[in-house]
Amino acid sequence: MSIPKVVGIEQEYAIQIQGDRSLSAFEASCMLVDAYARRVGLREPAVRMLWDYAHETPYQDIRGKLFRKSPSQQVTTDADNRLINAPLPNGARLYTDHAHPEYSTPECRSARQALACDKAGELILQESIQAVSSLHPGMRIHLYKNNTDHKGHSYGCHENYMMEAAAHERWFVKRPQLTEQVLIPFLVTRQVVAGAGKVGSEGRYAADARYQVSQRADFMENLYGLETTYARPIINTRAEHHADPDRFRRLHLIAGDANMCEVAGLVKLGSTQILLQMMEDHYFTEDLSLSDPLKAVRDISMAFDTPVALKDGRTMTAAQIQRRFQESAAAYCQKENDARVPDFHLILTHWEQILDGLEQLRLSPDFAILDDPGALIHKLDWLLKLWLLNRYRKGRDDCGWDHPMLQVLDLQYHRVDNPEGMFNRLQKDGVAERVTTDEEIHRFVRQAPEDTRAYFRGRCIEKYPEEIMLLSWEVVAFDHGQTHRMIPLLNPLQGTREQFEGLFAGAATSRELISRLEAETGG
Amino acid sequence: MAPSGQIQKSKTKAPKKKEQDEKEPEVLSKEKKQKLKELDEYIEGVLEEAGEDFLDQFKQVEGQ
Repeated sequence: MSIPKVVGIEQEYAIQIQGDRSLSAFEASCMLVDAYARRVGLREPAVRMLWDYAHETPYQDIRGKLFRKSPSQQVTTDADNRLINAPLPNGARLYTDHAHPEYSTPECRSARQALACDKAGELILQESIQAVSSLHPGMRIHLYKNNTDHKGHSYGCHENYMMEAAAHERWFVKRPQLTEQVLIPFLVTRQVVAGAGKVGSEGRYAADARYQVSQRADFMENLYGLETTYARPIINTRAEHHADPDRFRRLHLIAGDANMCEVAGLVKLGSTQILLQMMEDHYFTEDLSLSDPLKAVRDISMAFDTPVALKDGRTMTAAQIQRRFQESAAAYCQKENDARVPDFHLILTHWEQILDGLEQLRLSPDFAILDDPGALIHKLDWLLKLWLLNRYRKGRDDCGWDHPMLQVLDLQYHRVDNPEGMFNRLQKDGVAERVTTDEEIHRFVRQAPEDTRAYFRGRCIEKYPEEIMLLSWEVVAFDHGQTHRMIPLLNPLQGTREQFEGLFAGAATSRELISRLEAETGG
Repeated sequence: MAPSGQIQKSKTKAPKKKEQDEKEPEVLSKEKKQKLKELDEYIEGVLEEAGEDFLDQFKQVEGQ
């Protein structure tokens, strides 16, 4: 039986510093984290909260192997821990990872919420930059929400989905061939909906490419694996579930691109939520195994309408494969189900419109948009960016696809430190279609989603920051002098506003909160 | 054609635009043509502000 698909995004931003050549990307990233933490009152001397790395096991594989020792010891001092981390009152985590500022959204029940929370992360980083600029007037920090520097270095936009433990075990450990029949073909082809577009090609598989659908396709080298910085897999097998592993498991996906377009982002997350529910309910049974999924990732990225070979001898385009999933999802979502994906109608409608549009989309061999009757340039990043690039190329005979200015434009499309940046302007002008509202996004800058454990965590950080000793996705620990009290958050669906709003309202301190909790639960 | 990702030009000079090709199709309304013209000017401005050394300076540490 399927369970709600709690979802979250982890976005690593590219960072560029001007005005202080001595500052490293790591230092600048930490400055941004610190500046925002100060802004929301989390760097007062009495606030001593640390991020709890004890629950992070990046080298523990779901298939039962431990490949290396836990790297928890990498963050050795409390000062380092605070330098890197800022758990926020909106339930999110802002931190420095591999010299990139990273924003992990709080746990969300709906794709639309996750999208709004991800956009809230952009606003939070804009506030960070303003704060840094006021302290260091000569310094300019630019941030880019993309996945490549076009020089062979990639950084991720990871997705996390909660799965029912037995189903996760069945699909990814006991019978991975089922994953190859369903989830792998879905993820390989999803790029035609959610690809961010890229000029050129790079990395180990660099090819003679003018323009690609996906930013990450060049970097996908395995079907399964633990690695995230090289030999990247489509399915990350890290056994780090951030919840009670007997009931819940985390599916960690690292193949996706960072989306600027809201429609693309919504369908990316929402369609994946629905498919995972169908997998849990044994609803999708068609075998769409690809002959060579990793080659297919790159082939589709090079040409969105190229047919790819299935193991059973058929050939299908990415849109045709996605259509199989969309039609099945539409039928599945008609059935009554308490765990039904929120906003499924909106997700299915956009998904269907995109696939209709892709079937009619025509590009020239030189990537001119010849016909776009589905108006997909307003919905999909890879097409909106292509439209911009073509506008720039128009009338410039010497601007072939290898002209460096096109890479500059590609990168500028993703710049997010400026509220008046290129994508924001396109969105304000109505060129990029909206799904969320500014009000929703602004709310998630300050507040956590109300229907997951993020609410509980966020309220603790907001109300009792000086009393928190440690916290992570799955625990909040208070320092009560002689005793330390830990509140486990092992069920991402518990800790909601409905459950705890009254309790927080009547508890001025964490001691009172725990007393009232114990009184209510009898212990 | 060489893969774009492997191009190593130290300065990124904008290619020149031909005036006669700036016309939009006749079917577009005057207002839309004006908006597109403004967008094109905006793109030019963004690229100019990024500067010739932008690509040389844009190098990231490998992430996840």
